Amino acid sequence: MFFHIVLERNMQLHPRHFGPHLRDKLVSKLIKDVEGTCSGRHGFVVAITGVEDIGKGLIREGTGYVTFPVKYQCVVFRPFKGEILEAVVTMVNKMGFFAEAGPVQIFVSNHLIPDDMEFQSGDVPNYTTSDGSVKIQKESEVRLKIIGTRVDATEIFCIGTIKDDFLGVISDPGAAV
Amino acid sequence: MSGEEEENAAELKIGEEFLKAKCLMNCEVAIILEHKYEQIQQHSSESDPSSQVSQVFEKSLQYVKRFSRYKNPDAVRQVRETLSRYGLAEFELCTLGNLCPDTSGEATALVPSLKSGGRFVGDARDEKIEKMLNDLSLIKKFE
Repeated sequence: MFFHIVLERNMQLHPRHFGPHLRDKLVSKLIKDVEGTCSGRHGFVVAITGVEDIGKGLIREGTGYVTFPVKYQCVVFRPFKGEILEAVVTMVNKMGFFAEAGPVQIFVSNHLIPDDMEFQSGDVPNYTTSDGSVKIQKESEVRLKIIGTRVDATEIFCIGTIKDDFLGVISDPGAAV
Repeated sequence: MSGEEEENAAELKIGEEFLKAKCLMNCEVAIILEHKYEQIQQHSSESDPSSQVSQVFEKSLQYVKRFSRYKNPDAVRQVRETLSRYGLAEFELCTLGNLCPDTSGEATALVPSLKSGGRFVGDARDEKIEKMLNDLSLIKKFE
């Protein structure tokens, strides 16, 4: 799920930037440092939408750098266990398939794909029901439930399932043509 | 996760911080990111590599464009207004807005927390949920 939240960060600025454009410099450094990063607690920082407050700077002894506490609003993407969302399939193999929902990767193991769907290898590997009516392949859109998350230093990785009511394929690229 | 109580979105256990935060539906994120993307394009000079957007930004933008149920900003506002009349938590509101279930059975399967909290109780429960979903589909129809 996407959230709009307020975060705080201590920014260090070199004295050469002090001057009439100090604030601009601080904001552009903040955007450069923060946008695109990921933390286990807040998820992926997608975009900074505004700076709420820049506190008083504190000179660090010995270096001359100044630390400013900056409060900013941003859009984050944070997946939760138990959350249901839609995702695009990016890769299919006999172990299961990978899907992407925005910046996050989700793996659905073949144990968590309904039992009536069989893996078919070939040019376009896919999972298909015995009557061929439902097919999961690359670029399919699926609705899945997140059942586990693993947090890395710079990434969040999720495990999902489509073996539940109202989950599964919402559109497959083959049918659309 | 760390020593905290285990999170589970189905029971709205998403941590104090996110429970109070404002959730965004995919369509709302699309409006924000597209606006921001235009701004960046305008200000950027081609020689300046710092003006490029991050991969996270790009992937998110693609994702929300693909999965936005409502394109028109007025419709998006209406969806939020309509759903907020039903006393939903932010997280529930956005899940419903993103997935647009058709029936009350589907809605409660996707958002199990609807059944708790006494907002939709008794015999009228399904009817009330049904009405809420109907309101939503009307917005979509007249968009």
